[in-house]
Amino acid sequence: MQDLSQVKTAKGRFVERKYLAILNAPLQSSGTLTYIAPSRLEKHTLLPRQENLLLEREELTIERKDGNQRRTVMLQDYPVIWAFVESIRSTLAGDLTTLKRFYEVVLEGDERQWRLALTPSDPKMREVVSEIRISGGRSWIHAIEIKETGGDRSVMTITRDDS
Amino acid sequence: MTPAQRWRIAAWLAFVAACVVVIARTAFTTDISAFLPRSPTPEQQVLVEQLREGVVSRLVLIGIEGASPETLAQASKRLAAQLRKHDDFLSVDNGDGTGSAADRDFLWRNRYLLSSAVTPERFSAGGLRERLEEQLRLLGSPAGMLVRRILPADPSAELLHILERFEGQSKPATRDGVWFSRDGARALLVAQTRAAGYDIDAQERALALVRSAFGHTGASDAKLLLAGPGVFSVGTRAAIRGDATRFSLIATALIAALLLAIYRSPRVLALGLLPVASGAAAGIAAVSLGFGSVHGITLGFGVTLIGEGVDYAIYLFTQSAPGISPHRALDRIWPTLRLGVLTSICGFSAMLFSGFAGLAQLGLFSITGLLVAVAVTRWILPAFLPPGFDAPALAALVPGAMAAVRRAPALRYPLLLAVVLAAVVLAVQRGPLWSDDLASLSPVSRSDQLLDQQLRRDIGAPDVRYLVVIHAPDVQAALQASEAIGATLRRASQAGLLEGYESPADFLPSRQAQQNRQRALPAPAKLRANLQLAAQGLPYRREVFEPFLKDAAAAKDMPLVERSTLQGTRLALRLDTLLVKKDHGWVAMLALRGVSDAQNIARAIAAPAGTRAVLLDFKRESDRLYQSYRSEVLRNSLLGALAIALLLFASLRSPRRMFDVLAPLVAAVLVTAGVLVLSGLRLSIFHLVGLLLVVAVGSNYSLFFDRQTPSGEGRERTIVSLLFASVTTMIGFGVLAFSKVPVLHDIGLTVGIGAILALAFAAILSRRDDARR
Repeated sequence: MQDLSQVKTAKGRFVERKYLAILNAPLQSSGTLTYIAPSRLEKHTLLPRQENLLLEREELTIERKDGNQRRTVMLQDYPVIWAFVESIRSTLAGDLTTLKRFYEVVLEGDERQWRLALTPSDPKMREVVSEIRISGGRSWIHAIEIKETGGDRSVMTITRDDS
Repeated sequence: MTPAQRWRIAAWLAFVAACVVVIARTAFTTDISAFLPRSPTPEQQVLVEQLREGVVSRLVLIGIEGASPETLAQASKRLAAQLRKHDDFLSVDNGDGTGSAADRDFLWRNRYLLSSAVTPERFSAGGLRERLEEQLRLLGSPAGMLVRRILPADPSAELLHILERFEGQSKPATRDGVWFSRDGARALLVAQTRAAGYDIDAQERALALVRSAFGHTGASDAKLLLAGPGVFSVGTRAAIRGDATRFSLIATALIAALLLAIYRSPRVLALGLLPVASGAAAGIAAVSLGFGSVHGITLGFGVTLIGEGVDYAIYLFTQSAPGISPHRALDRIWPTLRLGVLTSICGFSAMLFSGFAGLAQLGLFSITGLLVAVAVTRWILPAFLPPGFDAPALAALVPGAMAAVRRAPALRYPLLLAVVLAAVVLAVQRGPLWSDDLASLSPVSRSDQLLDQQLRRDIGAPDVRYLVVIHAPDVQAALQASEAIGATLRRASQAGLLEGYESPADFLPSRQAQQNRQRALPAPAKLRANLQLAAQGLPYRREVFEPFLKDAAAAKDMPLVERSTLQGTRLALRLDTLLVKKDHGWVAMLALRGVSDAQNIARAIAAPAGTRAVLLDFKRESDRLYQSYRSEVLRNSLLGALAIALLLFASLRSPRRMFDVLAPLVAAVLVTAGVLVLSGLRLSIFHLVGLLLVVAVGSNYSLFFDRQTPSGEGRERTIVSLLFASVTTMIGFGVLAFSKVPVLHDIGLTVGIGAILALAFAAILSRRDDARR
């Protein structure tokens, strides 16, 4: 995981599947993920609808192409979303200190193949998310699985785009 | 002592006793009402009410800083818990979510009655299809995590629609579960007192509670910051009380020391203060009878009366000599003294007829005070003077003073130059010469105003500037008008004229609107069929929306939301501030946010028949209020100056002598104003009043300079007494310049400078010494 902190900028494609109890089929979305050290994360969803998520320090901006909607929120105001986005950003940054502020962290495996298990420490967050599992190798994340308290879960797989 | 004198003294004692009785029953106030108009327009009435007792007047903004964030958060939680136990606070908010559960519960249970989006189309198969597709989109986004759980009971997203109405109202940042400033340096709380803002005693108790509760939080190294209208009025009262007492004592002590140094007799000292004391008692009693209460500022102004009133006694003392009885001395100066008092009264009348209650009180106080002081000097004082009274030490001053006076005319050209320069300064500065802000009258210090603004920004407390005020005969008409105007405002906000608004109908829709919404919901079987059709081809599980069908069916004939339904929520409090019962009907207020085009909004607003609606711009209204004060004070001052000129002409009956009397005064006013402007001050109403008082007080000096005295010795005595009198006036007013209360400070500074200048200019322009030379 230490290798991650060496990464200055990285780009990849993601496919996300959400398995929800109220739906009889998973929701699938896909797009690109860009990380620029130390604090910028961009998630561009291309399918089924264009949507951009820009995370810069403590500010999260959501842009929807249809309807031209754009909203900026301060993460401090939404602790649950903050904990959630920090799980991805801090992992990409190799920032274990920040991760431990929000989660109990268990790290397994070796540098070629590691697995992180994050359990939220904030009770409010625990009402929503029960566990986040992140797996990766060397300086890249392969998959993020989020298990929600109600039984819903989502899985995001990422392939690194080196072009 | 003659029988006539005895009668006079008896009458005077009875009069003073009566004044004391009135004063003992007087209520003393320090609230902002003195700064508000006595006969407001309907718009100003709303402004005044909001300032006096509206929700805005009850806010206490609390900041805790100077410790680690953890300590601050802990202190915030403990402070809030402590304060919530007290009945004196309607609410204490620190962002920890206490109380918001009841709000959410109310909004959730009544969502179909409260949501303005509930229409028949929304619950048709087509309308529902649109909603379900939108929800699917949301589920895919990060926000999906939050809507997922309520989706089965609210697929048309009524709760979201209601909450969006409140969006855009900025909220403070949160840290460790409580509100913090963005930089994390300060924990924030907002408390609302039960007592209205004008109830300063209650506000003081509430603030004492906050301070003592903070003392028990254990955050000993942290600092407590308080702001808000209540904090200001309590602080102002303390400042006024402190200043009034302190400066009265200082001025009295200084003037007494001066009297004692010159006359070297405790008896003369006591006699000198007699007219002033009687005048002050009569002034307070008159204000109490005329206004029902006495403002603290009026008392502070009493100091100036000491400076001016003591002059009369000084004139009498200095004119008395071993060969002349006090009565004869007084007879000699009486015409001049009488004219001086009358011109002073003309000046103070400008204040008496002001629409500004604070100034009117000052005017009444001063006029009564001066009349009584001069009457006591004329008819009571001589009886107490020992026969053959003389002021020995004064003789020593005579040569120096006379030499100065004889040399003074040499300064004519420098004086002319100073006057021209002052006139140029005033002419060039014309634009920003006057302060245009009502805040310049506010007794709240600049640093306190800044702290208030800072905390307000941190907390995101609405800086209410625009308010649509609706008058209606009954509560339902008021709510219906709010809904109709709300629809206009929604269109205006789509057109970009404003960002949003808050309306009482958000929490309590009119009965008509609620019944329309109940009718808009289809019958249960029909809704089920519509939903089935709408969900076709979408990945929702079949039975997922059962809670929605059940809630919608129940909403169709649930009891309507009334004021009592809101009991126990914080929304009830907000409703009460936006919907108020008046003697004749109801007033509803819509608070606007982010207004960019007030003119077009005002034009678009149309009240339904039977109701009245106006867009109120607080800033413009209070500026207008201030400007109307200013033009009124300016007009009154000019009338006062004109009255003084007419009076002088009637008494002196010579244009040439009138010029001699008036020229030093005009020069003193111009140079004083020039000095104030040059020192970087914007002139306020109070400076203007001060300038008028320079004329009123200074006219005494130039009258005495002008007075035809038979003997050279008499003239010498006159000049020394003038010198002495102007020094006491300068002490009386000048001491006030050190006050932090603007009205006292501004008037004190202006008259303090002006009085000395008036005397100096009278000496410089004096013609009689020319002739003699």
